[in-house]
Amino acid sequence: MADVTLSRVRKSYGALDIIHGADLGIRDGEFVVLVGPSGCGKSTLLRMIAGLETITGGDIRIGGRVVNDLDPKDRDIAMVFQNYALYPHMTVATNMGFSLEHRGTSKAEIAGRVKWAADILGLSQLLDRYPRQLSGGQRQRVAMGRAIVRNPQVFLFDEPLSNLDAKLRVQMRAEIKELHQRLKTTTVYVTHDQVEAMTMADKIVVMHDGYVEQVGAPLELYDYPANVFVAGFIGSPSMNFLNGRVEAGRFVLEDGHKLPLPAGVADTSEKVIYGVRPEHLTISAEGLPLTVTVVEPTGSETQIIARHGAQTIVCIFRDRVLPKVGETITVAPDLSRVHLFSESTGRRLS
Amino acid sequence: MKAEISPRMKVILYGLMCVLLIPFVFPTWWMVTSSVKPISDIFAFPPQLLPQSYDWTTYSKVFELQPFVKQYWNSAYIAAIVTIGTMIVSSMAGYAFARIKFPFANTIFMIVLLGLLIPSEVTIVPLFQMFLKAGMVNTHWPLVLVPIFGAPSVFATFVMRQFFVTLPVELEEAARVDGLGRFKIFRKIALPLARPALASVAIFTFLHSWNLYLEPIVFLSSADKFTLPQALTQYTDAYGGPMWNIQLAAATLTALPVLIVFIIAQKQFVEGLAHTGLKG
Repeated sequence: MADVTLSRVRKSYGALDIIHGADLGIRDGEFVVLVGPSGCGKSTLLRMIAGLETITGGDIRIGGRVVNDLDPKDRDIAMVFQNYALYPHMTVATNMGFSLEHRGTSKAEIAGRVKWAADILGLSQLLDRYPRQLSGGQRQRVAMGRAIVRNPQVFLFDEPLSNLDAKLRVQMRAEIKELHQRLKTTTVYVTHDQVEAMTMADKIVVMHDGYVEQVGAPLELYDYPANVFVAGFIGSPSMNFLNGRVEAGRFVLEDGHKLPLPAGVADTSEKVIYGVRPEHLTISAEGLPLTVTVVEPTGSETQIIARHGAQTIVCIFRDRVLPKVGETITVAPDLSRVHLFSESTGRRLS
Repeated sequence: MKAEISPRMKVILYGLMCVLLIPFVFPTWWMVTSSVKPISDIFAFPPQLLPQSYDWTTYSKVFELQPFVKQYWNSAYIAAIVTIGTMIVSSMAGYAFARIKFPFANTIFMIVLLGLLIPSEVTIVPLFQMFLKAGMVNTHWPLVLVPIFGAPSVFATFVMRQFFVTLPVELEEAARVDGLGRFKIFRKIALPLARPALASVAIFTFLHSWNLYLEPIVFLSSADKFTLPQALTQYTDAYGGPMWNIQLAAATLTALPVLIVFIIAQKQFVEGLAHTGLKG
């Protein structure tokens, strides 16, 4: 186990900058999730930590040692790939023991390590099978087995669950988390699924267009997003945003409607974005009038998609309210959960 | 879901296939049956599908008139060396062109492919001059070296490159993380997975070498060094006319191992070609 430090890490392909100087500290034993939309550079950053991509600038340290120019095999890392990358011509046992075989480990020790990993992952009955004879979930487990069998300093996961169906994804998510709690190995996990990030991470790194937008604990990102991008990306459904200005302690929308603000917000000439999550809106006598366009009851909650002028607003109510489509409802935000951002910079104000 | 073919359509398709089989099967049938016919019956009209009488002495004469066993051995060992050599060269070159980034890789590959456009009739004279200077004329060296480093190997390199291009990069990346260097990745991961492509390379290289005709007649002059295609032309009478039945008996013996190899390995052959995007 080891800590991982990224200092001003950059990646360019010719004139095209992919990663613009990422700084990140990952503590020993921490489970860190890199999350962001497709093309944000999260997989590139993971591959740079693995040594599968060269770095254009900056330093990567694993266990205090600069590994910029080291081959992947000399970094003491193990990686689980999106498509599992199991060797098709080898059995499960050979796949799992392959890396140890090439590090001069004795046959008895390889067998012992493979058995240990297979027992943890429930693969003991499958050791003689070939990857083509396994289901998606089993292949995923073998890929993890191949990683843990070597007892590396760092695990790297590159969207390992994206090829699985929704049910299996939830199951495997729990298994990976459980495995981490058991082994306590430093883990860097890449996903574009923010639910996966929220449920698994000790620390989330939100990336966008090659920049690290915010680093923090899942609930810290949910409660205090540093900018509009993070606010919109973390949380499902996304946060609602309304554009306007702050006047006399109230938020004035562009159409003149007014919304209450938390106490202590000073007036500003700057244009402001008012952010409130769907689950932090409640039906109220006073507030923002909305015309209901879609009602989605799920049993435990009701999701309502509504319009305020041209703006779409999503609300989630725990109470069983079932307004009709076309009906007007009035919603008010939970003031302690309102977020204000500068319209010009997108940064958090409150 | 596979589209169902109606029974009537099946009958039509099978009938069509039977008709198409005739030009492929008839020459082989004619070769085998004529090898045991008396020479006068071979060109009889109408042609006899089955011999009226059987003359098995043609097969013993094949061995009496020529050092046929020696010639058989020449063809076999040359084809074996050429096949193994081509498999080694083409798999390594194909892998390099598919996976290793080096300057002008695509240009170099195009130049290599251009070699396929030059007919062997054009290169045979300069090659003869080269091998003459090297003292290799009337030896088997030209028959080994020319295919391994010439057009057949270029085609094999193309086949192997096309296969390696389709191999998922993640497999190699996983191997790198597992601690393998470039050559070990090639040997332990890429090569075992390339078995279908290698099998097709082996089959068509073996066939090419086994059937090689122009190079042997240019480079070889002693009967004990001849290969089979060249030896077949030597079964002539005192006036230089071909002794058809004996020649066809020798041809049957020549074709036999190739037929057996093809029947056993036809699945790999077709699979291998499928990987290249080429058809037969």
